[in-house]
Amino acid sequence: MLINFPYIQRDTPIHRLDPRAKFLLLLGYGFAAAQTSNIWIILAGLIGAIWYYSQAHLKWVETKRVWIFITILNLMIIISNYFLSGGAVVKGVDMGPQHILFSLPFIGFKPTSPYIGPAPLIFSVESITFMLTQAMRNFSIAFLAIAIPYTTDPSHIGAAFKGMGLSDKFAYAIDLAFRFLPTVSRDFSTTLDAQRARGFEIDKLRGGIFGKIARLAPMVVPVVIGSVVGAEDIISAMELRCFGVGKRTWLVELRTTRRDRILITLSIAGFLLITAWNIAGNYYHSGLLHALQTQGIPNFLLP
Amino acid sequence: MAVTEKNTDRGLLSTSIWAVGVRQIVYMALGAALYGGLSWVTNVIQLPSAGNVSLRPAIVIPLFFGAVFGPWVGLFSGGIGNLLGDYVSGYGVFWNWDVGNALLGFIAGLAMLRTWGRYTSTRNIIIAEIFAAVGIIVGIGFSSYTEIWLSKLTFVSATIGYFLPAAGSDLINGLILLPILLIAYNAARARLGRG
Repeated sequence: MLINFPYIQRDTPIHRLDPRAKFLLLLGYGFAAAQTSNIWIILAGLIGAIWYYSQAHLKWVETKRVWIFITILNLMIIISNYFLSGGAVVKGVDMGPQHILFSLPFIGFKPTSPYIGPAPLIFSVESITFMLTQAMRNFSIAFLAIAIPYTTDPSHIGAAFKGMGLSDKFAYAIDLAFRFLPTVSRDFSTTLDAQRARGFEIDKLRGGIFGKIARLAPMVVPVVIGSVVGAEDIISAMELRCFGVGKRTWLVELRTTRRDRILITLSIAGFLLITAWNIAGNYYHSGLLHALQTQGIPNFLLP
Repeated sequence: MAVTEKNTDRGLLSTSIWAVGVRQIVYMALGAALYGGLSWVTNVIQLPSAGNVSLRPAIVIPLFFGAVFGPWVGLFSGGIGNLLGDYVSGYGVFWNWDVGNALLGFIAGLAMLRTWGRYTSTRNIIIAEIFAAVGIIVGIGFSSYTEIWLSKLTFVSATIGYFLPAAGSDLINGLILLPILLIAYNAARARLGRG
């Protein structure tokens, strides 16, 4: 069981981007998208995210497992949120009375004892639009997030964090963590094989939940304690080489290109624009400046 | 001078639980790698689970590293370990869960204020368990409830969909495995003449 980083070496526009630009885009978009439930703005974000992802030229067979997981997780969250909230639209969205299409008998939470009881599950134009917006927002973030591990060389991550202002010590620790990972997973694999040879059946743990967890100790303890004790040699070696005494240099030096700088500027500017727009929307109660506080449902969709 | 340790009446300890020297850097990296690696391994081998509580033993790593090596090591092991686990699995980067796991390790590490990283008595192990439980509740609470803002969930959905299953599973896994690891670590230290 050898660990493989999902990074796929290719020469695409996304692979060539500086990791800092990718992280800032993800953060900038995530924070901006969290400020609105306007379907048109989120749709524009989703189209942009799909285009960005398509530029990475990742094949379906390479990312299939992850996409299946993300899709199931997103659908479960959105559908369960709809049912648990009785089809309510989240607070913060400016709306009048809902245009109800139909409702089903269901159960819901009540403010008074016994706190749960019969309540209708509403299907309205607003609640269905809200559910679609939620799905689009989550998928657009996933398009930006999933592209990172597949297009970023793991050996650049430490240098990227250093470039984002993290101290040398912490950035080096990130770099070291990526280097330790294959060794650690190999140790887990060796320990697992050794324990299986002694009759330890990890796939068929007996007992209740507490018993099962306690029986995992023969796999977890030797690896963790062995690694901690073995780390003393690494500490001694680093101390002998006077680690941390002087300023550190990096084998990988990230240099932003014009395209990186444009993407970083757009990410920050986009986030600031949406934030300013959101703030302005609290002072103007109609028109374009109030658009972020509305769902943006066109009139022809309302019954 | 890079060395930040000295022999005190409390044993071979850092001069301060907040110090970040060579030892802490190596344990930060090791904790993160173990957390990311064990998360990945347990995903691959598909551990059996009971009910809604999945077997995610990896959560004990940031709790243990925090409790033994201090809050900064716990913070780093949790945050970067979670990032690493998601990265290796190809799931991308979800910052609020990374920050939540970092908080979890940091709070577990605050146990050192009372125990100085020595877990030779039942009292100190109980203190570590209490800080670990608080860390899990605060850390997973942060990750779960930021989803209200990020994914526009309701409070009830964030509680039932994220907080209860994640915190419940982590509490059971962490609180069972943490004392086992602390006792094993004490035995290893004693065997190496560092007890």
